[in-house]
Amino acid sequence: MSRTAPAREARAVPSSAGSPRLRLDPSVCDGVGICAHLAPDLITVDSWGYPIVSIEPLERRAFERQARAAVAACPRKALFLDS
Amino acid sequence: MTAELHLVHRAAFAPLLDGAAVVPTHGTEVLNGVAAHGLAAHREAFGDRPSFAGDRGAALVDGIDRVTLTGRGGGHFPTAAKWRSILAAGPAQTVVANGAEGEPGCAKDAVLLQTRPHLVLDGLVAAMEVVGAVDGVVWIHAGADATARSVASAIAERARAGAGDPPIRVVVAPARYLSGEATGIIRTLEGGPTLPRFVHDPAHPWSEGRRPVLVQNVETLARVGQVALGGAESYRATSLLTVVSGTHRVVVEADPSMTFGDVVAHAWTSPDGLEPQAVLLGGYGGSWVAWQRLASMSIDPGALRSQGLSIGAGLVGPLPSSACGIEESARLTRYLADQSARQCGPCVFGLAGVAELASDLTAGTLGRSGRKRLDRFMDEIAGRGACRHPDGALRMLASALDVFSHDVHRHRRGRSCAAPTHSVLPLPLETS
Repeated sequence: MSRTAPAREARAVPSSAGSPRLRLDPSVCDGVGICAHLAPDLITVDSWGYPIVSIEPLERRAFERQARAAVAACPRKALFLDS
Repeated sequence: MTAELHLVHRAAFAPLLDGAAVVPTHGTEVLNGVAAHGLAAHREAFGDRPSFAGDRGAALVDGIDRVTLTGRGGGHFPTAAKWRSILAAGPAQTVVANGAEGEPGCAKDAVLLQTRPHLVLDGLVAAMEVVGAVDGVVWIHAGADATARSVASAIAERARAGAGDPPIRVVVAPARYLSGEATGIIRTLEGGPTLPRFVHDPAHPWSEGRRPVLVQNVETLARVGQVALGGAESYRATSLLTVVSGTHRVVVEADPSMTFGDVVAHAWTSPDGLEPQAVLLGGYGGSWVAWQRLASMSIDPGALRSQGLSIGAGLVGPLPSSACGIEESARLTRYLADQSARQCGPCVFGLAGVAELASDLTAGTLGRSGRKRLDRFMDEIAGRGACRHPDGALRMLASALDVFSHDVHRHRRGRSCAAPTHSVLPLPLETS
């Protein structure tokens, strides 16, 4: 059932194996929303303004540029790159 | 000759329970049905506990692997794989026997700790020896007084008998739905609050730089005890189920040869003399299953998995034909939303929003746009909490919308379904 699928942020972003993944600790995120502006191809926001990390694969250079900007800007340090 | 006799004796399967145990829906004291084992009765029934220190530990890990033991707190993760991953991470600090039974419908862990405390403790000590832990914890819900007394007196009895156990302490957790969530237990033992936390790697839920912590449900450890004392050959993969029946919960041990029809016929008293229309299976974050589908199914975790179902924490919550599944599910969704640890946005706001819309559905005020919003919220929240709490609530509600689609239709047209039976599944008194 799609509603009980593995955690979205845990799925691979981008698709190639061994690449870093953009991950979110939702327990420290306050829904500030800067990330969605800096990484529009990686992050959308839900009905309450909290980020949803995309599961769509993204070209590596664009991924790294957007992901690093979002990680660096998060005031709650809720985003990080995981290899 | 004696060794042979010993083998014959062991080959006879000793069930976990020798009857059905009755526990009130509010309160955790076992009223009747299963006699509590002191140490002597326990040794008579299950045998002596060999040591699993050093090289012997590998044999026990192989044994629990052979019987395909899985975590009975609800997640059903393979126990042998969990232990091997702990072993690979180095000597453990703590093994936790998790008896904080947050599911309001379930009482199997209370029954085990009150009637088979020594089997759980044997499993705990064996686990501690295997992973090299120096600290044993029995983790219990606040208010479970009979359970706490039973465990404390069992620990004292073992000390008097010179059992030579490593140190074991009882830790009392807050009485909340999520108090048995493993990352929250580990966080508490590290000096933090009893709240779930995000972990980078689910196989390493303890903090960087600390020694591993193994958390296992008490039924899992009782089953480790069975394998440790009786061997893997004589083990039978039964399931402990809690059947909610009126003002009581009936805990039964079901063999895989039995069906849900057998168990419900045995343990459930229908308020209207009719079969249930559906059963909430697993826990309040489990799935509603229509009775005509479930009745003939075997109580076999593997067979259930192939049907997309799980025995979860063992809840069997029959819904009488005279009750409304939508009302019941909206009530449980509200309870689960209220039990959020209030850490993650999708749970704090999203699950609360879903609960609100589920109430609107019951009241007949949801409308077409409200239903679209409900579906959108459920899609948005899926898979996004630090723990799986919102996912469980959504699974339960989604299954209700499917199984009770007839009632959904009636409620949507603004008609009360006029169900004469209300509030079937129990909620803790302070929140119901």
